[in-house]
Amino acid sequence: MTQHSADNTDAGPHHAKMTRRSFLRRGGVAVGGAAALVASLKPLMDPELDPGDLGSIQRFLQKHYKEMSTEDMDAALARIRNDVERRYGLRPDIRDIKPMDGVEFVFALNLSRCIGCRKCVHACVAENNQSRDPEIQYIRVLEMPKGTIDIERASHHYDRPKVPSEDHFYMPVQCHQCTRPPCVKVCPVEATWQEPDGITVIDYDWCIGCRYCEAACPYWARRFNFTPPRFASDEQIAQNPDIVKEQLNPDMSYLSNRPREKGVMEKCTFCLHRTREGKMPACLEVCPVGARKFGNVLNPDSDISRILRNKRVFVLKEEAGTLPRFFYYFDERRSRSGSDELDAPAAQSGEDA
Amino acid sequence: MDGMMTSEPIPHRTFPSPAGSGVVEIVIAVCLLILAGWFVWGRGAVTLPRVEPAAVSLADLDTRPLRIIQTDEPVVTIAGFERRCMECHRLFESPKKPPQRLTQHQDILLDHGLNDRCFNCHDRENRDMLTLRGEEAVPYSEVARLCSMCHGPTYRDWERGMHGRTSGGWDPGGAAYRRLRCSECHDPHAPAVHGMKPLPGPNTLRMGHPVDREHIAAAEQIDPLRKWQHVLEERRADDEDHGSRSDDPGAAEQGE
Repeated sequence: MTQHSADNTDAGPHHAKMTRRSFLRRGGVAVGGAAALVASLKPLMDPELDPGDLGSIQRFLQKHYKEMSTEDMDAALARIRNDVERRYGLRPDIRDIKPMDGVEFVFALNLSRCIGCRKCVHACVAENNQSRDPEIQYIRVLEMPKGTIDIERASHHYDRPKVPSEDHFYMPVQCHQCTRPPCVKVCPVEATWQEPDGITVIDYDWCIGCRYCEAACPYWARRFNFTPPRFASDEQIAQNPDIVKEQLNPDMSYLSNRPREKGVMEKCTFCLHRTREGKMPACLEVCPVGARKFGNVLNPDSDISRILRNKRVFVLKEEAGTLPRFFYYFDERRSRSGSDELDAPAAQSGEDA
Repeated sequence: MDGMMTSEPIPHRTFPSPAGSGVVEIVIAVCLLILAGWFVWGRGAVTLPRVEPAAVSLADLDTRPLRIIQTDEPVVTIAGFERRCMECHRLFESPKKPPQRLTQHQDILLDHGLNDRCFNCHDRENRDMLTLRGEEAVPYSEVARLCSMCHGPTYRDWERGMHGRTSGGWDPGGAAYRRLRCSECHDPHAPAVHGMKPLPGPNTLRMGHPVDREHIAAAEQIDPLRKWQHVLEERRADDEDHGSRSDDPGAAEQGE
């Protein structure tokens, strides 16, 4: 009681000290602070903002992909299913697909065959639910003068009535799924990692969008979402009926092509929702000239193993030390003039002699 | 620490009060207010430019083979009617040497290099079959064996999955794996693969925006990764516009 009264008497002089000047001072700072707080809420006034997108407690408390139990994952998938349905009006078939045992995926691309038609680019966009507005593309097709591999002088904005141009060749670049990925190394929150089958994936719910990985990647493979994926509006489709109407691909997996949130990174995942179920990546399926080759490098009889053994393959930016799982090769005449049994090393050395 | 706290209760927090502290607080308050006003009414938020989505139709992304291959019972369309080969060829004997101008099959353009004789590939006796150098007849489904007669190295690559399209699954032992045959991509009568119009180029925040033709030509000479180059180009174009509008001969010359 005495303590209480002492407090009161203590508080008295403070009130007495509240002068006009200190009132103005504190009041001013308080008003300023309150105004700043209101201003910080301005993004909520965005007309495009859907209140449902603000996030739920479950999403906020969701664990890292590697720490999720089966029940956690089921809950997360159910939440994503509902979110996607609410936002895009289509109920997706989303699942968490684990890597297969004894499989390591490798891609190879035949530069002698590629004609630069960009079908892979757009098949990828359609398969992986990338944003159409603004556009996000995982594959960049470079056009370079023949006789050089000078990426500094390459162009990805080429527009010709007909490709291939006689004096250029084409080099599509996408995520190389490096064995020593710099993007994984720089991630401050371990939101991206390499899976046992060699695919570097991102937990879109764990990513903080710092874009360090984008800066670290020597292949320009990572993309940042400035908005949630936006598809063409009905208006845009009416104006340009060529735009693909069935835009959302409902065949989704947690680590690959589910629609991303604003402010997270994304990248090529070798279409893991397809390839982990035995199918080919979308870019390969659509390639009209068969320039793209994909397979399990641990199987010595796979197409990809044969290419690595028998073709002269090279990797892009070897000096970066990333050990990519993406190889380029040419059909050179010399390798075709030798023995029938390409696979046998003896035959190859005989050819060299 | 505890001892100090109990022994010496803190009656007043005696911060050093510099003479101008009131001014500082008011300045902070005013700054906050200005900042808040700028956030709310100013151009605080970055608005992304809306772009027209790339015009790509479902037909552009068709994954089916380019050509429909003949089955083992080949059918040919003549004057709008589907006919089996032997329906006619049973009746008419073919000339030893094909005539300069065909009277039938005029839709066929034969552009296969030195290989310019029908019976190099087609069996003379049984037109439902192909022929391996006149020695062995093979059905159309085994067209790759015929092609291998001349294109050995390519056939060798194709056999190993190193040439041509594959489809379905990536595991060569799997049921879904399918290796497309020669004539599913190549027209056997004119086998060179011709080009096509490329699909629209990138118009992304990361890769920059498509620019007009002169800018593309300029971009081929410089590093395309540097977006500012386009900005420079645009600025230069703006300067040119400005120069011509103001009728300043010096600026116009500079622009040129």
